[in-house]
Amino acid sequence: MSLLRTGRSRKDRDGRFGTVLVAAGAGILAVVALAVLLGPLFTSWGPNQIDGDAPTLAEPGGAHLFGTDVNGMDVWSRLLYAGRVDLGIAIAAVAIAVVLGSILGVVAGYFGGWLDDVLMRLTDIFQAFPTFILALAVAALLGSGPLNLTVAIALVNAPAYARLVRAEVRTIRDLTYVDAARTSGASTIGLLWRHVLPNSLTPVRVIAPLNCGWAMLTLAGLSFLGLGIPVPDAEWGAMISLGTGDVVAGRWWTSVPPGIALLVCVLGFSLLGEGLQERADRVRR
Amino acid sequence: MRILRFVARRLLQLIPVLLGVVVLTFLLVRVLPGDPIRTILGPNATAADEAAARARFGLDRPLWRQFTDYLGGLVTGDFGTSIQSGQSVGSEMALRIGPTMELVVLAVAIAVVIATVVGLWSARHANRAGDHGIRVLALIGNSMPEFWLGLVLILVGYAGLGWFPAPSGRVDPDTDLTPITGADALDALLTGNMPALTSALWHLALPVLTLVIVIVAPLLRSVRASALEVLRSEPYAAAEAHGLPGRVLRRGYLVRAALVRLPSLAALVFGFAIGSTVLIEYVYSWQGFGQWALRGLLYRDYPVVQASVLVIALCYVVVFLIADVVHAMLDPRVRI
Repeated sequence: MSLLRTGRSRKDRDGRFGTVLVAAGAGILAVVALAVLLGPLFTSWGPNQIDGDAPTLAEPGGAHLFGTDVNGMDVWSRLLYAGRVDLGIAIAAVAIAVVLGSILGVVAGYFGGWLDDVLMRLTDIFQAFPTFILALAVAALLGSGPLNLTVAIALVNAPAYARLVRAEVRTIRDLTYVDAARTSGASTIGLLWRHVLPNSLTPVRVIAPLNCGWAMLTLAGLSFLGLGIPVPDAEWGAMISLGTGDVVAGRWWTSVPPGIALLVCVLGFSLLGEGLQERADRVRR
Repeated sequence: MRILRFVARRLLQLIPVLLGVVVLTFLLVRVLPGDPIRTILGPNATAADEAAARARFGLDRPLWRQFTDYLGGLVTGDFGTSIQSGQSVGSEMALRIGPTMELVVLAVAIAVVIATVVGLWSARHANRAGDHGIRVLALIGNSMPEFWLGLVLILVGYAGLGWFPAPSGRVDPDTDLTPITGADALDALLTGNMPALTSALWHLALPVLTLVIVIVAPLLRSVRASALEVLRSEPYAAAEAHGLPGRVLRRGYLVRAALVRLPSLAALVFGFAIGSTVLIEYVYSWQGFGQWALRGLLYRDYPVVQASVLVIALCYVVVFLIADVVHAMLDPRVRI
């Protein structure tokens, strides 16, 4: 760290904005998570409950905060229940991708050799395509439904983590402290688990939140195209898709609220990731 | 010419990668569940009808034979026949690529220009309110689902204000545009058809704007970070201390150095934009490559899926090649 005064004050200023971003992101996500988990407290309608008394496509207000959709279901309560699906699948998919990618990356990076070659060529092929296209192809081939979507999104993200972790492991495995642990008789598994893996996950901590946001957008995009969560289940992308026809007629309430919900959630993850990145940069500089 | 030799070598290296892509798609699309023949036959089709249809598309032959036939066709530029439409895949695709390219290339170009101008400004005013505001705005744009943003722009620009045309099609059919490349604005320009040009540009405005808003953030971040590095570097401090005028400092020291990392990122963003166009084309009924490929995928139309995967991969690697060449031109330290 530099002792120059100007240098330090500049770093502090960068760091402060990073902290603000992290706090804002975490705050947004906490509010969304609470709203989604405690959703039933804020609404008297079920996600797929049709209000026989209200007309379909009723304007917002009265018994229905955001009106009703083309099926006569309450948009606000669907919004809340859909959050569980979106957040749940996105976080689960990224968690699976991190675990799978880290295992592959550690094994490839630590042992090297033909295993490394095979794994890296495989990730090469994966990375010759835009990720959304890959997710689209995998989802179309696996079929719709929450489980298949989680698998599809996890699968297309895992290679990036494998590469990231592998690069870290290749530098870490030759460090003195790893040698020390090895000479003091640590088993290979213990060495990897206790000494190599924790330190090779540093970049993953920054990427994973950003990736969660991206996973939500992918999920919603797939549902929007009819490849995701099958209708009548509430999911933000599927809700937007259902409201597409209303937009041209000037009815905003069926598709704008789920989009804003998505935007807020993804923004929470982006702010978190951007802030963490900023703080990581400050340490490095 | 060193650059030409570099390009030629890279193009040769492409062949095994693309061959790998062809083999993999060919196998995967056949191994995974789904049958293209069942989707074109009616509910009353007999087993004999099905066998006849299979024979018509050569799907009754052994797998290796199908593959060699397909590869033989590819070498002569024949992508096969679409199972859904019965048309030549190559000519169907030719109609679809132009409109999508028009969208993606315009959007990426506009985004690069915006990112450069705003990113440099942001770096020179780093950590002040304006800089923070720009970064948060870019993040918000980047966090929007592109298909939803498209719908909101339609809601405001078409349903609300009525300034933009309805989201159906790419050009007003009354303008009698003669298609050449499929990219309507370009075709109108080539044929000197002014009403068609205006119409095509109006139709392009909202989809391009949608794409620009979604992709500008990563480019902006990169320009800002590189520019900050330059501004805080010793050579720049020395040049500034020597009293060089601001214009020279900006042109000679800042701009070029700040753009060095942009090409490879722009290539990455280009790929991201290709993914996004599948959704944006759907929203604006653009009838481009994305919609065509998606339908092929949903109906398991083998030749269509194979051709579109191959074209996307080809496009992606060629864009990265261009990015490398531009990078070498921007950065004299890079030897290619």
